Amino acid sequence: MTSSTPVLLEAVGVPDGHTLASYRSRGGYAPLEKILAEKQPGDVVEMVKSSGLRGRGGAGFSTGLKWTFLPKDHPGPIYLCINADESEPGTFNNRILMEDDPHQVIEGIILSAYATKASTAYIYLRYEYPQSWNRLQAAIDEAYAAGYLGKGIRGTNFSLDIYLHRGAAAYICGEETGLIESLEGKRAWPRIKPPFPAIEGLFRKPTVVNNIETMACVAQIARRGVEWFKSIGVPADPNNPRDPGSYGPKLYCLSGHVEKPGCYEAPLGITARQLIDEHGGGVWKGRRAKAVIPGGISMGLMTESELDTPLDFAGPGKVGCLGLGTAAVVVIDETVSIVDFLHNSCRFFAHESCGQCTPCREGTSWSLRMLERIRAGKGRLKDLDLLLELGQTMGMMPGSTICGLADGAAWPIKNAIKKFRGEFEDYIKRTNPSGWMVTDPVPALQIVGAH
Amino acid sequence: MPTVIVDGQEIEIGADERLNCIEAARRAGKEIPHYCWHPGLSVVASCRMCLIETGQRDAATGKVTMVPKLVPGCQTPAKDGTVIVTDSQLVKDSRARVEEALLIDHPIDCPICDKAGECLLQDYHFEHGQAERRADLQPFTSRRRDVGPTVTLFVDRCIMCTRCVRFTREVSGTSELMVTSRGAKEEIDVFPGHPLDNKLSGNVVDLCPVGALGDKDFLYQQRVWFLKREANVCGGCAAGCSIHTEHNQDTVYRLKPRENPHVNKWWICDDGRYGWHHLHDSARLLEAGHREAAAGSHRGHAPVFAPVEWADVVTRLRADLKQAGRLAVAVSPMLTVEEAWMLCAIARSIDPEAFLAAGFVPHVGEDETFPGGFTIRAEKCPNRRGVEEVLSLYGAGGRSWQDLVKHVAAGQADAAWITAGYPAPWIDDAAAAAFSDLRCLVVQDLFDSPLTRHATWRLPAAGFAERAGTWVNVAHRAQSFRQAIRAPAGVWPEGRLYWNMLGRRGLYDPVAVRHQIAESSASFAALAGEMPAVGVDLRIHQLA
Amino acid sequence: MIAPRKVLTDEMVAKIEALAPRYPNRRALTLPALHIVNAELRHVPLEAVVEIAALLGLAPAEVQDTLTFYQFFHQEKPHGKVRAFVCRSVSCALRGGEQVLEHLCHKAGIQPYGTTADGELTVEPAECLGACDFAPCILANDDLLKNLTPEAAEAALLRKPRS
Repeated sequence: MTSSTPVLLEAVGVPDGHTLASYRSRGGYAPLEKILAEKQPGDVVEMVKSSGLRGRGGAGFSTGLKWTFLPKDHPGPIYLCINADESEPGTFNNRILMEDDPHQVIEGIILSAYATKASTAYIYLRYEYPQSWNRLQAAIDEAYAAGYLGKGIRGTNFSLDIYLHRGAAAYICGEETGLIESLEGKRAWPRIKPPFPAIEGLFRKPTVVNNIETMACVAQIARRGVEWFKSIGVPADPNNPRDPGSYGPKLYCLSGHVEKPGCYEAPLGITARQLIDEHGGGVWKGRRAKAVIPGGISMGLMTESELDTPLDFAGPGKVGCLGLGTAAVVVIDETVSIVDFLHNSCRFFAHESCGQCTPCREGTSWSLRMLERIRAGKGRLKDLDLLLELGQTMGMMPGSTICGLADGAAWPIKNAIKKFRGEFEDYIKRTNPSGWMVTDPVPALQIVGAH
Repeated sequence: MPTVIVDGQEIEIGADERLNCIEAARRAGKEIPHYCWHPGLSVVASCRMCLIETGQRDAATGKVTMVPKLVPGCQTPAKDGTVIVTDSQLVKDSRARVEEALLIDHPIDCPICDKAGECLLQDYHFEHGQAERRADLQPFTSRRRDVGPTVTLFVDRCIMCTRCVRFTREVSGTSELMVTSRGAKEEIDVFPGHPLDNKLSGNVVDLCPVGALGDKDFLYQQRVWFLKREANVCGGCAAGCSIHTEHNQDTVYRLKPRENPHVNKWWICDDGRYGWHHLHDSARLLEAGHREAAAGSHRGHAPVFAPVEWADVVTRLRADLKQAGRLAVAVSPMLTVEEAWMLCAIARSIDPEAFLAAGFVPHVGEDETFPGGFTIRAEKCPNRRGVEEVLSLYGAGGRSWQDLVKHVAAGQADAAWITAGYPAPWIDDAAAAAFSDLRCLVVQDLFDSPLTRHATWRLPAAGFAERAGTWVNVAHRAQSFRQAIRAPAGVWPEGRLYWNMLGRRGLYDPVAVRHQIAESSASFAALAGEMPAVGVDLRIHQLA
Repeated sequence: MIAPRKVLTDEMVAKIEALAPRYPNRRALTLPALHIVNAELRHVPLEAVVEIAALLGLAPAEVQDTLTFYQFFHQEKPHGKVRAFVCRSVSCALRGGEQVLEHLCHKAGIQPYGTTADGELTVEPAECLGACDFAPCILANDDLLKNLTPEAAEAALLRKPRS
């Protein structure tokens, strides 16, 4: 059952769905008023915690639990940062939410600020979303005028200001401490942890960083209840004590070689094949999929035979992918050279590596250089082992970097070479018939337009 | 006491110590290689060279739980029960890979790089790197650009540890340096028109673990493996920073800060760093001379000094002064405690009523404190406290240069012995005129000055690196040091002259003098025994 | 030395100062200030960096450090009146994004990141624009150009009537 009525996307296609009037007519802000009147902040934390909501930004950490890491009885200020730096290739669900239903996001932010006792929320919005900027700013203005923002909201002691803060085209700002550094006016070099942002974050104060879609989920949990949320998705695996389950609706971004690319709402746990066939109209031009990215490029690749993997928080990991990530599913059809795909991936991460940790800075750059050389007909089989070694050793998981960007760079390399090694070897032998077996160091190519 | 387990070896650390794993492992004799971490700067944990395995030993059960991944030693605190593994295959492989990564774009122009021989990239490569280069090769050149009047940057040698940038933001507070761009295209730079030009600039060269930042004063002057180093103290101001004088064949090539938590931490100022060139100035006085009595050699007008053998100085000087009558002596704050003490002893043996006073104390500007706490003192001499303390032993406490000038100007002295040894001009004609009518004037200085025009005896002084002894800084910390280089031929350092004038046998032995001073006075009691490299606080022993 | 000339107008400074109450320190105004200047001048010359730094109580190198990290702000000369970001990330690349970029640069007679001689158009490769449902796409100033072909991109950006 995958074609339930959309909730998070209920405003899509609704005329003026982005306005306050439309949002109210759909029941919006009523839950907020009720909660402000009747509930304590701790009740909201408890509500979100018990809903099983896991952050929609990519890491899938329990939202309610994250909030409880804030110090108790802190004199303040506590900051709420909303991560709208959506930059993971293939991902656009937050853009849809901000453009089509900004009030849903704002209600979620107000509820979350109430729960965390934050009186200032910054929405860090990537530069590339001018329409989201306009819609959000208009919605914020409406919310202030309607008394949902500002001093003493709805006659309570609770006050909140929401400010939009614009990024400048850097993927790493999606990493929560990179975002914090960027907001503070510095280069977005992720911070070492501890201290975690909940203890010492933005402006050295306790801070929660949450994703846009997470905020929309909070609004919907407030409106529809914990039971509703928990009735959707995949329950916790009783045999795995570390699996908290994957509850709630999820926005899946479908793009690449499908007939109908788009953002689709489905219960967590829909399979990639269902998504492609039932929502996306199948692989385009009647072709077969060669590989599918399960959740943004940094999650790696699934092969055609792995497409029945459920896209919940635990599913992609079972077929060697990094995780669900942003649930951005990108279909790569059978005509695409996997070498070209990996080059594209390596170019992205070499461009976006912040340059702080040696293994990531040099590893992403070296892997791009190798892919460029392979594509220039100077590849060697040895390069595949080198690439694989880079993939296995750079990242937060082996411990060689501060943040997860390098893990994201590593996974496409690892998955592509492990799952498509034959194609790589054929390519190298075909394009470099006289040198594919060489193992000596080779001269570097002139760097070609890698910005 | 908290116990840390380093490669199976248990070591105890202080209960209040806040050590990271690099520091804790060092206590166990294990060096964890690192680039970006420096104890004087914030922790960024970005070079990833110090990755180690860690775990925690349960106090009750003794069971060790390891962290399932590598962690940076710099960022990981060592606490009771912390298990540190620095020699596993995982750690070794990780180091080899970081070395490999850093060398991908490194020009490897070691033969023309000043840092070769003291370069961490080299050292770590030999120790932790892999023999084979697997990365695509790059051309062996490094772009060079100036970043300031004293520092130059070899852009491509940089490994992006950002120590230099953090230094200018956290210690000097001047923020001239920055990282530009991102990823593998990152570079260190300054903003156009805003060069690295502060009084602590030179420290970034010391901080640079590779050959990226070069000191123009030292650039291409000497291969570092020819240099010998002596633990010295900077004579540039009253701060008394601990330094290493690096020299070869009696020529100083550079000064480097020597870590001293009580004085200068890891830093020195550029005034001190470059304040050695006067040692090799061709204008230095290089022989003892006695004024020619012959025509044309009138006081104050281009005197002619006849060279005198030092053995003759020892005897004739004493006789001359004795004959002249009432003696006044200026004890220069450039002298060591030992020299000052011997000088006072000589003075009183010549004239038991000799008027003793501190020598001229040069001042320039105001004390200057930087955000990181480092202070450059306005008082440009290293041993005013020590000299004053010696003077009080001789009942002349509190007497200043001004008192001496007044004393002489009032005609209360027939002879004066002015010790100086200042690297910069310090006295003008007007001030010198007060000494024009003495029967005998002894001036001991590095350079000719208006005062030497009136001198009967003109004796050369030693430079700071040529002295041995003890200086007491502005915070009453006494630091002893040996001479780094020999004084130029013809120059007897003051200590040697005084030692001989006191009739003592053999070579000048400053340690013997120091022990003698320590025994004879409570205020110098702390100078007894072996002196720690970081010196001692004179007041602590007084209180005890 | 940077010649002391006033690049920031009173209006820009007022816009920057209007945002100051939003943040507990002035350094956080760095990106907003850069955007405000860039929106007016279509680049952020070094002189402006010096003035922003003075305004925020920072060293010029601190502002420049941040600025260059993002690789977003041109400094030597203004970008075109239209700044077209051509997505080259995976979803667009799969549907012809690279060809759109190449065609556009070829027809405009510029290299990627270059600006046409008349100063009308700058073409820059961009990483994922977050509009993969409309791949391949271009963000031209505030307009998202969707589902492009090389020809459609050319028509939209090079053959439209000049104002």
